[in-house]
Amino acid sequence: MDELEKYVEDKATQYIVVNLGIEHYGIDINYIDNIVRVPAIRRVPNVQNYFKGVINLRGEVIPVMSLRVKFDMPENEFTGNTRIIIVKVDPQAAIGIIVDEVEQVMDIYDSQIEKVTGEKKEESNGYITSVGKTERGLVSILNLATVIGEKEQA
Amino acid sequence: MDTSQYLGIFLDEAREHIQSLSDQMMILEQEPENQDAISEIFRAAHSLKGMAGTMGYKRLQHLTHVTEDCFSDIRSGSMKVTSELMDVLFQALDAIEGYVNSIQETTDEGEDDNENVVNEINRIRSAETGKGEAPAPAKEQKAEGNASSAPAAGPSDKALYRNMKLDDSAKDVMKDAISGGKHVLGFTVFIEESCLLKAARAFLVIKALEDMGDIVATDPSTQDIEDEKFDFTFSLFTICDEDMDKAKEAMLAVSEIAEVVGEEFNESNIESIGAGNAKAAEAAAEQEAEAEKEEVRETKEETAPAVKKETAPAAKQQANTKPQAKKPVISKTIRVDIDKLDSLMNLVSELIIAKNTIVSAADSSDTSNQALNEQVEYLESVTTNLHEAVMKVRMVPIESAVQKFPRMVRDLEKKLDKKMQLTITGEETELDRTVVDEIGDPLMHLIRNSADHGLEHPDERAANGKPEMGTIFLNAFQDGNSVVIEVGDDGKGIDVEAVRNKIVERGLASEDVAAQFTDKEVIDYLFDPGFSMAKKVTDISGRGVGLDVVKSNIESLGGDVSVKTKLGEGSTWIIRLPLTLAIIQALMVIIGDEKYAISLDSITTIENIPSSDVKLVQGKEVIQLRGTVIPIVRLSELLGFDTTEQKDDMIVVIAKKGDSQAGLVVDELIGQQEIVIKSLGKYINNDRIISGATILGDGEVALIIDANALI
Repeated sequence: MDELEKYVEDKATQYIVVNLGIEHYGIDINYIDNIVRVPAIRRVPNVQNYFKGVINLRGEVIPVMSLRVKFDMPENEFTGNTRIIIVKVDPQAAIGIIVDEVEQVMDIYDSQIEKVTGEKKEESNGYITSVGKTERGLVSILNLATVIGEKEQA
Repeated sequence: MDTSQYLGIFLDEAREHIQSLSDQMMILEQEPENQDAISEIFRAAHSLKGMAGTMGYKRLQHLTHVTEDCFSDIRSGSMKVTSELMDVLFQALDAIEGYVNSIQETTDEGEDDNENVVNEINRIRSAETGKGEAPAPAKEQKAEGNASSAPAAGPSDKALYRNMKLDDSAKDVMKDAISGGKHVLGFTVFIEESCLLKAARAFLVIKALEDMGDIVATDPSTQDIEDEKFDFTFSLFTICDEDMDKAKEAMLAVSEIAEVVGEEFNESNIESIGAGNAKAAEAAAEQEAEAEKEEVRETKEETAPAVKKETAPAAKQQANTKPQAKKPVISKTIRVDIDKLDSLMNLVSELIIAKNTIVSAADSSDTSNQALNEQVEYLESVTTNLHEAVMKVRMVPIESAVQKFPRMVRDLEKKLDKKMQLTITGEETELDRTVVDEIGDPLMHLIRNSADHGLEHPDERAANGKPEMGTIFLNAFQDGNSVVIEVGDDGKGIDVEAVRNKIVERGLASEDVAAQFTDKEVIDYLFDPGFSMAKKVTDISGRGVGLDVVKSNIESLGGDVSVKTKLGEGSTWIIRLPLTLAIIQALMVIIGDEKYAISLDSITTIENIPSSDVKLVQGKEVIQLRGTVIPIVRLSELLGFDTTEQKDDMIVVIAKKGDSQAGLVVDELIGQQEIVIKSLGKYINNDRIISGATILGDGEVALIIDANALI
């Protein structure tokens, strides 16, 4: 009975859980268009430092950014596990996000999620909306709009 | 009757009529006695009313009816064209347009009765002529009732075939037939007005006659009959094996045929066909058909209407007023959804990328295969032609974007209490449809700007020895691979010093710095967001949201805008737009170890220059080329490469933008290539040197350098 109630009231959202070093981040699966291995990246000069350049994804030119650089983490070499998550927040504009590793697809229930507020929110620059407490540990849920949208002042 | 399927046609035609009303009313205002303009207005208003009635838009019908009555009085001379009257009529036109807009958005005309406009028109009318709303013009009733009353009139009135124009060869054929013992018959067929498939009925009638002989001529043409482009009557001549009665019987056997009027011709009265002096009322349908044909010619030649048009039944107008559909007489056209053209363009883009892949594969294959190379070359020329053809399909004259401006300037004239005229040239210049759709707003802004800021008040102009009437001009023309649109005025021009003071006043630059600015740099501030020179904010301009929007709109179309001004003599804004947006010819170059593309349009020449020829002028590197000093830009530096190594010879690509030039130093040339421009997306902030990217034959991404941004 308890289980059933939980299903009725507690809505689950599917997230792709990606790793940066030892940290887990969740990206709402509804925004994700595709996950690809890292192809040749063409550098674009004089842009925000976290933009690594553009790639050719089946005839479309898509800008890719490094989540590590965006989060002020040290950069690392691409490995066989490195992936680019192609997200479309705006259906017209796809963008690729480079992560160290894609871990899994996970259902996270509303009851498991805690909103990030106050000091913590400022600390994360608004990149994180909330934290999901799962059996795999804490998963920071990304606010894609700010992660990709915020334009850095040069 | 379900009319929804006609909604699209209704909207298209309604817009055409509204535009024609607007144009002709402007003419009428200038020349109150212009009969042609009045007739044209009357015709357009009448058609609009008929269409609105057919579609069941009562309010629109009522308003156009009132307007039409007004023009009817003007035409008959019982009312004079006054400024007050024209103002109200323009208001009525706006209200009509409002209905049409509402219909377009919601398929409903809305609830607004626009009573104030109707009342105002009636007030002026009753004051002028004693006629008001009450006496609905009998003429109108008659006109509308014309079609239905026709069958009731005497037989001679209905023998419309007598008015048909036959050429001599047709008459000769008929004479031969008579001497050959056949019957030459003329018929006018009336189809019941409740008939929904009149074309089908007409077809059956014609079929029945063809079984018995040959059809010599029909009015309207068989094509028009098939397309239902006729009223409920049509006329024809046939050479028949059977006599009059048999033929008539066969025709009446077709259901929903109300009446057939006919007679047999002999050699003597054949000549009288078409020369009959039928009364105007009988000939109305005929004349209308003529007038329609005339109109097609007129729109083609853009001359003022020359033919005086008779009123015709409203129902007929609905069926007949299809200038678009009628144009096939001259050139066949179809309407195509722009989305379909977009997807076609996308497919062409993909095809060109695929073609580039094949070209590079063929180039890199070691064994040179003659046949393959020939086919690859052929493929290249086909895809280039295909691209050009698709591009041409998407091109429309800028006319649709500029045609609303004369009216706007007229309104501004009243609002601002200035005298001004607008001259437009080159409205036939063609641009990509998407560009034409987008360019209207920026142009409107510039014209408002000229009207508000540029032109002086008449007394001020007179004091400066200028004609009181200010001129605003819009000139469009093609220049190479781009289209130039100039918008300007003969007003006071931009006061550069005033702008300079404003810059300092607003704290955008210190006084010392501002004093160093060139005139051009000062004027560039006008394009900054929030920068307004207007002393007081009006509802026309001065809110400071303007030129920056103009600039960003135009840049988003891949164009640029500049301004030439002379204090006291006026200013000219020059907009330069690319002919095509998606696919360009580009020069591929290597800078550092990366491939870049530069649009061929902006390149004048490529030069080899010894490094020693580079001179310094005011700390900037320049070269001298055939007597001109050209600043050079070392792209490798700009693009973040290590540039310690200096070569003896430099490859300099000379690019131009308007009158200015710059030399772009590249490391290596690859060659010319057709490329498909892809956007870098909205998230990347670059310094505008890179305008986009393209995918090369081998799948590699190359960036496109915007030479314009470097000059």
